[in-house]
Amino acid sequence: MSQKPLVELKDVKKRIGKKDIIHGLTFDIYGGEVFGFLGPNGAGKTTTIRMMVGLMSLSGGQILIKGKNIESHYKQAISEVGAIVENPEMYKFLTGYQNLIHYRRMVKGVSKGRIAEVIELVGLTNRIHEKVKTYSLGMRQRLGLAQALLHSPSVLILDEPTNGLDPAGIREIRYYLRQLAEKEGIAVIVSSHLLSEMELMCDRIAIIQNGKLIGVQSTKEFVESGTERKVRFLVDDPAAARHAVSHHVKAERITLGNEYLEAEMEREMIPEVTATLVVEGVKVYGISSETKTLEDKFLEVTGGKEIV
Amino acid sequence: MSNFIGLIQNENMKIYRRMGNLIMILLLIGFIGLTGILTKTDKTKPVSDNWKQELKAENAAMQKTIKKEPMMKSHYERSIALNEYRITHDIKPVDAKSQWSFVGESPDAIQFILIFTIIVAGGMVASEFSWGTIKLLLIRPVSRTTILASKYLSTMLYALLLIIITFVFAWLWGGVLFGFDFSPGTHLSYANGKVVEENIVWHMWKEYGFASILLLMMATFAFMMSTIFRNSSLAIGFSIFLSMSGTVAVQLLSKYDWVKYILFANVDLKQYFDGTPLIKGMTLNFSLSVLAVYFVLFTALSWLVFKKRDVAA
Repeated sequence: MSQKPLVELKDVKKRIGKKDIIHGLTFDIYGGEVFGFLGPNGAGKTTTIRMMVGLMSLSGGQILIKGKNIESHYKQAISEVGAIVENPEMYKFLTGYQNLIHYRRMVKGVSKGRIAEVIELVGLTNRIHEKVKTYSLGMRQRLGLAQALLHSPSVLILDEPTNGLDPAGIREIRYYLRQLAEKEGIAVIVSSHLLSEMELMCDRIAIIQNGKLIGVQSTKEFVESGTERKVRFLVDDPAAARHAVSHHVKAERITLGNEYLEAEMEREMIPEVTATLVVEGVKVYGISSETKTLEDKFLEVTGGKEIV
Repeated sequence: MSNFIGLIQNENMKIYRRMGNLIMILLLIGFIGLTGILTKTDKTKPVSDNWKQELKAENAAMQKTIKKEPMMKSHYERSIALNEYRITHDIKPVDAKSQWSFVGESPDAIQFILIFTIIVAGGMVASEFSWGTIKLLLIRPVSRTTILASKYLSTMLYALLLIIITFVFAWLWGGVLFGFDFSPGTHLSYANGKVVEENIVWHMWKEYGFASILLLMMATFAFMMSTIFRNSSLAIGFSIFLSMSGTVAVQLLSKYDWVKYILFANVDLKQYFDGTPLIKGMTLNFSLSVLAVYFVLFTALSWLVFKKRDVAA
């Protein structure tokens, strides 16, 4: 990922009326990566995506796609982009195939063979000549993906791509998006509220809240950063255990259950605490440590409010 | 350019693949069909060989009533002049139950075409917003101006198609009901105290042309409303209401001079060819200028709003 970024956001701002919606976002997205866009509802994810595809104007800053400004060189910039903004709303009174024909007529150089190719790719071959109103949400999502890929874009922007898909469909999409990024070098940008999804799918994640960028990190770093974790000890006498553990851990970081005790601590502390428990005569039946998931991290970073 | 034709194809696909818009075409055909049957079963007698005497008697009767009803003077003078012209030039009145007479009545259907076109125009942009498809439509390498132009042009093509269907079907149905006649007669019109002879087909197309001005203006208006308010019900309802009431309103207000600047005072260009202008001093050029101003206003507003709008639907 040392090459030139495919998408560059430079101090992007959006003001609607007197309200600042986006307060200056700056980040780059490279070819070959799946980039996650994370934030609570109303954080400005969709607004940012809309600015990236030219549906909304920028109040400040600029967005470059393959070096082309989305506002001043709209046609060149947008030619490189395939997108689904919010739900994949298609013309319901047309068939899936007619919908694709519709979008094919709006770009240059997409052959009929390419249509067949994307239909095959998203697995809609059997139903493509049926009207979209008969499609399930998952099928519409696939058709949405097909129209986004039709002109072989180098940037793919998907708002909630797994919305409405069944678990098998989600796995398929996830696999497929990774393929697009790794094999074809496309920059895939996804927004999702399914944080566990993003953890599995994304290479890097940007978190925005209230229109501000909180951070961009690789998914791995993101999950593993912060060495504190919750450790659960299954014990016979939680009250006695608390007394023992309180030598090492502050009281407010300890929670008691019926037959267990939970305490937040660093990994290195676990053997020490265990030894103390044994010395104090508390029977320990089991120890489990949970790594923080992206979800916990996300809640932590965004303050746990207003999450979907 | 090939791109633009593609866009027109797209818009046409979205118009004609919808049941509602096809039903409107069927209603139009049904209306013409029904009118034909009513004309056929009507009790009016065909024009007799004795028509010259009959017209003379008619004129004599009208001369008498003119004195009683001075209000209707110009109307009677017109009829008398036309009848005299027929007698002196030996032009037999057109039989009501004939193919060309029926086709000649077909411009009446333009009122339906007006409503149907407003319905299509009012949904043109607004529907894309209510369907949510506007987001996928506008993220293509095509400028918003081009997309809007293709939508506008497709609306006008729909109106044109309805007019052509009306004419063709009226001709066919008239032929079936009353027998085909390949030598259309002559139409007489009366303007500025003179009688003018015209080919009936030419006359009919002129009628279509005059009636189409209201159609063009109101379809453009509905299209503008659709673009600005993104609400098809509002665009359609308001445009139909104005079309129905506008002409009546300017008649009622015709004593005020400023009325001449209202769109509806100027949509009837026939007033300069066959009749008297609504307000003294109005001329054909004046009306054309007023129409042009409104047209530019409607299209410019649609364009500006569509081009600048942040799409957040």
